[in-house]
Amino acid sequence: MSQTGLTTTSLTLGYRERTVLRDLSIAVPDQRVTSILGPNGCGKSTFLKALARLIAPASGQVLLSGDDIGKIDTRALARRLSILPQSPKAPDGITVSDLVRRGRTPWRGLLAPWSEEDARICRQALEQVDLSDLADRPIDELSGGQRQRAWIALVLAQNTPYLLLDEPTTWLDLAHQLEVLSLLQKRNRDHGTTVVTVLHDLNLAVRFSDHLILFGGKGLVAEGAPEVVITPENLQAAFGLKALVMPDPLTGRPMIVPH
Amino acid sequence: MSAEGSGKRIAGGWAVLGGLLFAAVLISLTVGQIMITPAELLRGLMSGTGPGSLTLRVLRGPSTLTAVGAGAVLGASGTIFQILLRNPLAAPDVMGFMSGAGCAVVAGVAFGLLIPLPILAAIGGLVAALLVAGLSFHRGARQSPLTLILVGIGIGFFASAVSSFLVIRMPPQEAADAQRWLTGSLTARNWGHVLQVFGLGALLSIILALQVRAMALLELGDELAAGLGARVGRARYGLICTGVLLATVGVAVAGPVPFVAMMAGPLGMRIAGVRHPASRLTAAAIAGATIMVLAEVISRSAIPGLQLPVGVMTGIMGAPYLLWLLWKEVEAGEV
Repeated sequence: MSQTGLTTTSLTLGYRERTVLRDLSIAVPDQRVTSILGPNGCGKSTFLKALARLIAPASGQVLLSGDDIGKIDTRALARRLSILPQSPKAPDGITVSDLVRRGRTPWRGLLAPWSEEDARICRQALEQVDLSDLADRPIDELSGGQRQRAWIALVLAQNTPYLLLDEPTTWLDLAHQLEVLSLLQKRNRDHGTTVVTVLHDLNLAVRFSDHLILFGGKGLVAEGAPEVVITPENLQAAFGLKALVMPDPLTGRPMIVPH
Repeated sequence: MSAEGSGKRIAGGWAVLGGLLFAAVLISLTVGQIMITPAELLRGLMSGTGPGSLTLRVLRGPSTLTAVGAGAVLGASGTIFQILLRNPLAAPDVMGFMSGAGCAVVAGVAFGLLIPLPILAAIGGLVAALLVAGLSFHRGARQSPLTLILVGIGIGFFASAVSSFLVIRMPPQEAADAQRWLTGSLTARNWGHVLQVFGLGALLSIILALQVRAMALLELGDELAAGLGARVGRARYGLICTGVLLATVGVAVAGPVPFVAMMAGPLGMRIAGVRHPASRLTAAAIAGATIMVLAEVISRSAIPGLQLPVGVMTGIMGAPYLLWLLWKEVEAGEV
C-alpha cells in the first residue's frame, strides 16, 4: 500500500461491543472525488468519521501521508483535513460571513489578528459557493440549498488538501443536490482537493465521483472506478437490489435502473 | 473582536449599551436619601473634598463599582453556559453554582474557617458544578442540556437548604447578616471589594479571552469543532471552570444574587445586536453591570428608610423573565 494520501490499514470500527466494520484496508485516491456508498446502517458514516478522527478505531489505523492520524496534533490535522458532519446546526442568528470566518481558526495563532490572507480565502470560499451577496445575512434566513452551501464555504475556508463531507446533499431537492456536487467537483478540479463524501443517491454518486467505495451489510463489497464498482452483482450484494446497469446517455458512465 | 455584518447598526447598539451603563452608574451615585447632583460629583472628583467626594469615596462609590464588577462577571458567566448548553436557562444562578458558592461561604463563617471568602466561594461553586455533572451522568449517553439544568436547579435548592440550616444555628446578629448576604447584598461595600472583584474579574477575563476561539467552534457542534482543530473535551471543561469561577467572584462580593447571570446575556445580545461569542460575552458583561447597578439603586431607594438586599430586586426583575422563558420552552415542546 502506498504511503501517500489517506489510507486505512486493518481498520476495525465499532461502538462499544458492536463491531460495525471489520479489517478494512482501503486507499482513498489523492486529488480525486471519492464517494462512500451503501445501505442505511452499513457504517459508511462511521467510516468517514474514522477517516477524520472523529471516532477512534477499535483496532487498525488511519494514515494520512503515512502518519497515524491518531497521533497528529489536533490543529495540525485541521490544517490538512476538514470534515463537514451531517446536518450541522448553526447558532441562532449567526451570519454567513461569521460562520465562514470560523473556518480560518486552525490557521490563526492564538493572538494573531485577522489577516488579509484570511479575508481573501474567506472571500474566495464565498465566491466558490456563490454566496458573496448573502454574506451578511443570518444563516437561518437562507433556503436549504443556500444554507448547505454556507456550511461548505466554512470548510472551504479551512483550505485543506483533504475535504470530507457526510451526506452533503441530504434534505436538498435534485437541482440543489447537483449544485452542491458540482461545486465540490469544481473545487477538486481547480485546487486538486481530495474530496470524500458519503452519498445516498447512487446515480449522482456515479456522475460526480472518480472513485467509489461500496459497503454492504457485511462490510466492503467493492471499491474502484464507477465502471468497476457499479455492477448488478455488487448492487445485489450491497443493497439486495435487483437492477439493470446501463450507460448513462449523457456521460457514458454506468447508470442504475432498479427493477 | 470580530467584525460583524452591518457595522453601523451594531456600533449604535454598543453605544446604547454603554450609555445605559453610564446612566445607571450616574443614577446610582446621585440618587439616595441625600440627593447629590452630577455637578457636585464632578466637583468632588476634581477637588477631593465636599459632599460629592464623600459620596464617591465612601458612601456610594464603592457599592456602585462593586455592583458594576459583580454584574459584569455574572453576565459573562451566564453567557458562557448559555452558549455551551445552547439554552437561555443555563446560567450559574439557575444551575445552583452560585447557591453552592454561597453555601460554602456560610459554612466557612459558621465553622469559623480562616479561608478567604473568594476561595470558599470558588470551592463551593466548583463542588456544585461537579455534583451537577456527576448526578446527570448516564453511561454512554450525552447529557441533554435540560437534564443538566434541572439537576442544577435541584442542587441549588439543596445548597440553599443547607445554607438556611447553618444560618438558623448562628447567633442572631450573625444570622441576620448571613441571611441578608445570602439574598444578595451590596450594602457597606468598601474599596477592598472593588479591588477584589475587578482584580479577579480581570484575571479570569484574560483566561476567557484565550478560550473564546474554542468557544466559537464549540458553538458549531462537537464534530465540526473537532474538525476545526478544537480539543473539544478540554476546551469545554476549561470554559466550565472559567464560567463557574467568574460567577463565584461575583458571589464573593455580592452574595448569590439571583437572575443577573441569566438575564444579562440575552439582554446584552439583543441591545448590541451581536452574535459572535466574544461580542456576546462583552455585551453580557455590560448588561449585567447595568442590571446590577440599577437593582442596587432601586433596592436602596424604593422604600424610604428601608434598605432591601439587592437580590430581592433582581429576583423581582428576573422571576417574570424566567417564567416567560419556561413558557416558551413548554410551547416549543422542550420541557
